Amino acid sequence: MAPLLEPALLRRLEALALQVRRAVSGQMGGERRSKRRGQSVEFADYRNYTPGDDFRLIDWNAYARLDRFMLRLFVAEEELPLSLFVDLSGSMDWGKPNKAATARQLAGAIAYVALAALDRVRLTVFAEGETSGGAPSRGRRAAATLFSRLQSFPAGGVTNYEKLVWPIGRQRPGMTVLITDGLGESALDPALTALQRAHQEGAVLQLLAPQELAPDWSGDARLRDAETGVEREFTATPLTQGSYVKALAQRTDEIERAAHRRGLRFARLSTSEPIDEMVQVTLRRIGLLA
Amino acid sequence: MTVLAPLAAVLALTLPAIIALYFLKIRRPTRVVPALHLWPTQIRDRQANVPWQRLRPSWLLFLQLLAAAALVAAAVQPVLPAGASLARHSIVLLDASASMQATDVTPSRLAEAKRQVNAVIDQLGPSDRMTVIAAGPTSRIIASVTGDRDALHRAVNGVTASNGPADLSAALSLAAGLVRSGDDARAYLFSDGIVQPLRSSFAAGLPFPVDYHRVGVSGENVGLTSLTVRTSAQTRAAYLHLQNFGQQVRSVSLEWRADGHLLDVRPLTLPAGQGQDLVFPVPSDATSVTAHLATGDIFAVDDTATAVARTPRAFKVLLVTPGNVFLEQALRLRSDFQLDVVAPAAYKASAAYAMTVFDRFVPPVLPDGPFWMVDPPAGSALAGGPALGIGRVRAVDAGDPLLANVDLQDVHVARSEDLRASTFGRPLISSLQTPLVLVRDEPFRQVLIGFDLHESDLPLRIAFPILTQNLSEWMLPPSVPSHSFHPDEPVTIVPEPGATAVSVIRPDGSRGALATGAIASFAETDPTGLYVVEQVIGGQVQRSWFSVNLFSDAISQLKPPDRLTLPPTRAVAVQATHPGQLEIWPWIALAALAIVTAEWLAFHRGL
Repeated sequence: MAPLLEPALLRRLEALALQVRRAVSGQMGGERRSKRRGQSVEFADYRNYTPGDDFRLIDWNAYARLDRFMLRLFVAEEELPLSLFVDLSGSMDWGKPNKAATARQLAGAIAYVALAALDRVRLTVFAEGETSGGAPSRGRRAAATLFSRLQSFPAGGVTNYEKLVWPIGRQRPGMTVLITDGLGESALDPALTALQRAHQEGAVLQLLAPQELAPDWSGDARLRDAETGVEREFTATPLTQGSYVKALAQRTDEIERAAHRRGLRFARLSTSEPIDEMVQVTLRRIGLLA
Repeated sequence: MTVLAPLAAVLALTLPAIIALYFLKIRRPTRVVPALHLWPTQIRDRQANVPWQRLRPSWLLFLQLLAAAALVAAAVQPVLPAGASLARHSIVLLDASASMQATDVTPSRLAEAKRQVNAVIDQLGPSDRMTVIAAGPTSRIIASVTGDRDALHRAVNGVTASNGPADLSAALSLAAGLVRSGDDARAYLFSDGIVQPLRSSFAAGLPFPVDYHRVGVSGENVGLTSLTVRTSAQTRAAYLHLQNFGQQVRSVSLEWRADGHLLDVRPLTLPAGQGQDLVFPVPSDATSVTAHLATGDIFAVDDTATAVARTPRAFKVLLVTPGNVFLEQALRLRSDFQLDVVAPAAYKASAAYAMTVFDRFVPPVLPDGPFWMVDPPAGSALAGGPALGIGRVRAVDAGDPLLANVDLQDVHVARSEDLRASTFGRPLISSLQTPLVLVRDEPFRQVLIGFDLHESDLPLRIAFPILTQNLSEWMLPPSVPSHSFHPDEPVTIVPEPGATAVSVIRPDGSRGALATGAIASFAETDPTGLYVVEQVIGGQVQRSWFSVNLFSDAISQLKPPDRLTLPPTRAVAVQATHPGQLEIWPWIALAALAIVTAEWLAFHRGL
């Protein structure tokens, strides 16, 4: 099996880091500013010494000036819990380049950025329901396992965003990235609402194939839905194709507005873009990576 | 309305065929799409693909049926009755004479006539035939008994106006030659009515009726009708006549030029219907003089007149006679003749003489050139039979140009040789007993007169000097003609002895070569202006000139007559006509094309 991401790309990804707007609170130490005070080089505050405190933290210079024991507090640095929700429904298994394949690569790239920064990554793929991507991964060494897991999930089934509400809701505050084409018939809103309630700093990445954005065929056809298999006869004309493009743009706008309303980042990506460009340009532009 | 191709109605089967096709199942390729719910739900025209279901209203189906119906309607070639009454064989006489260049109707009378003829062509039925004759100084058939409308349109559109008069007689003769007795024929004359008088031979009538379609309205024209150069002892002067043929006072500006250089400009005012004579000095070294009217009127051909200002070149002429004062005096009237008179005994053949006149004497060897032979003695080469008693004389052809203005009414001849057996040439003047005057063109122009002039009262009549002038100018045209030629009038050119090349340079600069061996007739004289005749003699170029001008009051007056006297129709002529037909299928086909375009647009707009 071909590697999910090229080694050269992985090296470039190591220079990136997930960008969080708020301080995080993870379970283990990491490289993220935590709400808690802890051990790091970044000064946070002073407080009076109380017996039992680590006397190594007493500021002896302050004692000399004030004749009181003052304790120096530092910002604790902890890990960032990152949840990746990857849509691998039937509609994602479409297009050239294939949307599902691109989604796996994109998820892998974001996961690798997090793992390289000692963040904890939880992978969930979904279609009709959620499928856990296994135990959370941490550390760069876990990347290979995570990548092979990503590649092992086949695409198929009907998108049901409502099934995401529970797994999202049970997460600890952190970052959640949802990669989907947004084309399922069910509404995406409940899932986004759940993200907001779970105090997730997140991003919705809508992934579309170029053939979806501008259909490259015309004339008579029997249309078959990639997820449901439902068929309908159709004659493509500039007018009817214009209607489709308009409906797609409307759907994208709705998702973008819903995401922004809940404080989530949003990006529309085309599978024709190289992964490198998506990560380095688009995800940096929306502030997901830095 | 009638249809020309009823069998084409079979094409109407395409209408049910379209509906049947509408019901037929369409094979559509399957295309997988990620989100079917985003594609528009309207299923369009050809969704009705289950046989025998109810036909659903559809704009596209309606437009397709309409287009098919229009194409079927065009295919059956419907025709509407049109205004003209046409015979099975229509003969169009299109006046292409000078007066048709008048621009009193826009853009010109000829263009208007062509437009009217084209309209008649469009009304021809499928079994109708048409002949088109362009009537100018010479008439010619430009389309002969054809129903091919394109060929007829092409022929008519290719007609151009000449500068000459319209010889309607010749055109009618041509037309009559195309019609057999009992034919359903009719002639249509598109003309301004300014035509040469009809020959009397048409009094018997024509085998077809002639409809006159008048073209043109106005006669408001000022034109130059004469320009001559006269040389007196001291000076040379040009005499010009201009005439206002219209009903209104006209102010014009007259430009006077010599060899193209402007000499004078005179503003003139001409009352209605009045003319004016003007005299202009002519520079001594001028070759030609030109008068031009800057009038901006409806007819340009008569606004310019050109005359040759050179002195004619002299011809040496020898008269060999025992004594004939009549002949001598008549020959001396030609100012460009240097006449030598010798007795028969003193005659010696000489190449120096351009023409020789033998009176009652025949040399042993006839000269190789133009000569007159008057009353050759019995037994000589050209002598006729024994003398006959003659009385009155008559012209063999009164229209012969050699007898122009020659009145033979009171001319009598006492005795003449019997020339009935002579093979000299064609008779010009004759009597009941024998031809009296014979002429021939080949190898040189020569005249044989069978009687002694003293035995006739001809030398006492005014006809004699005129006949002498006509014959001498015919045999030796003056190097500078005493008059201007009319357009399309043949000009006789006599090559000089020893000329190796003869050519004529037309007013537009084009050059036409002539044969050098014999007298030539140059007939390409339609353009008006100055013509130059160049002869190369011994390496030297010798030039002579002649001018061509309209100079025709009949044409310049321009006013189309309200009525034109046309030959009657013979009683036996079939005069059945049928209305013309206006085919409307091109318009229906155009409408079908528009409907197909609308259907295509509707299809792409998703109606």
